[in-house]
Amino acid sequence: MDGTSKSAGPLSGVVFALGEKAIFKAGDRVRVSTRSPIGHYRVPTYLRGKIGSVEKAIEPAGIDNEEEGYGRNAGSKRHYYRVAFRMSEIWPDYAGSERDGLHIEVFETWLERAER
Amino acid sequence: MTQTEKLVNRLPNDVGGLPADAIQRVDHELEPWEKRCHALADVLDFHKLINTEEKRCGVEALGAEMVAKLSYYERWIVAFANILFHKGILTPTELALKMKEVESRSSEG
Amino acid sequence: MTHQHEGDDHDHDHAHPHAEIGEGRPGYYDIMETAVRELLIEKKLIGADEIRRQIEVLDSRSPALGAKVVARAWTDPAFRARLLANGRAACEELGISFYDDTQLIVIENTDKVHNLIVCTLCSCYPRPVLGLPPDWYKAKPYRARAVVEPRAVLAEFGTIIPDDVEVRVHDSTAMVRYLVLPRRPAGTEHFSEEELAALVTRDTMIGVVPATVDITGAAP
Repeated sequence: MDGTSKSAGPLSGVVFALGEKAIFKAGDRVRVSTRSPIGHYRVPTYLRGKIGSVEKAIEPAGIDNEEEGYGRNAGSKRHYYRVAFRMSEIWPDYAGSERDGLHIEVFETWLERAER
Repeated sequence: MTQTEKLVNRLPNDVGGLPADAIQRVDHELEPWEKRCHALADVLDFHKLINTEEKRCGVEALGAEMVAKLSYYERWIVAFANILFHKGILTPTELALKMKEVESRSSEG
Repeated sequence: MTHQHEGDDHDHDHAHPHAEIGEGRPGYYDIMETAVRELLIEKKLIGADEIRRQIEVLDSRSPALGAKVVARAWTDPAFRARLLANGRAACEELGISFYDDTQLIVIENTDKVHNLIVCTLCSCYPRPVLGLPPDWYKAKPYRARAVVEPRAVLAEFGTIIPDDVEVRVHDSTAMVRYLVLPRRPAGTEHFSEEELAALVTRDTMIGVVPATVDITGAAP
């Protein structure tokens, strides 16, 4: 132990609890799930099945807002992600600029990994 | 898909992308009861008696007709009443009697 | 308060009294609010003082706060950087508390991106720093159309964005709130922070209009 530090990095051998670590990272292509829940939801219908890119995994993890709507005030935490969509991906007849986009926060349970 | 499926699995507030009119540039000064209602919502959230997401869920649960016909804070206060009933914090009878009493104050001389 | 009704099935997102309210007697929902509040206070679940205080909190929050944040960002590059990195923390530096425990992301308009904020599902809005949202923000037309035809919506506010600039719509549906950092208007290099703040209206921070120098000629 001579006091010099090796390069910083995560220690090996640390196991994360299920759901504790963000599954997606910035740049990942993701698809919004296509289920149609009855009851409370916070993923608008217009986004179901659409493919976008993760801008950022939001830290820290948060309560699932669908459960929060029924009174859960703690627990049930996973990550929300800011996801970027092209307007032309969301709306087939989009009339604005091809550059236009939409950003929205989506809970992890609503995202699936998409191929590029 | 049945005729009624969309009533059930699309929330009345889920309006992104639906056809809609020109934007009416209206704004109004909150009436005193509306401001009290907003303050009540905040205080209920601080206590986690009714958190903000529960409020949203409660407004959605009013259903399409009430969501369309009640104004913004009218939806909130009815939603609060329903949620408080479900939680056993208030009963409909309690609220009805109290409302009767409150109303009678304003008709006294 | 004037507004137009368009047909019988107009949206009642703008509050206007339907029932006759004569001589200042409270309406049905006013009575309901009073009754709910008094019952909760009687049951000691909330305090009357808390409600009174929260009304004061709400009255103290207005677009003037956001304007000061923007003006500070325009004149202090280090503050601007902190604001863009963590909107809530930077606002808290200026003494703006986030009583609703929301996070704030401040998004800058640039020559390449014009940002627009909407909450399609309800009316999420950065209330701690802007106060309460205008009725039109909460009503169906804005919420339905901002995500599908943002340029047409912007045009209704008199804002035309060139095609080579991205219009980026932020639909706030979760725990984050958004504030647009508008571009500083040209010709304001010599303005004081206070004079700059006077140019920053609520609508510039929602993103429906850019900030402009007052056309009647704000004195530098």
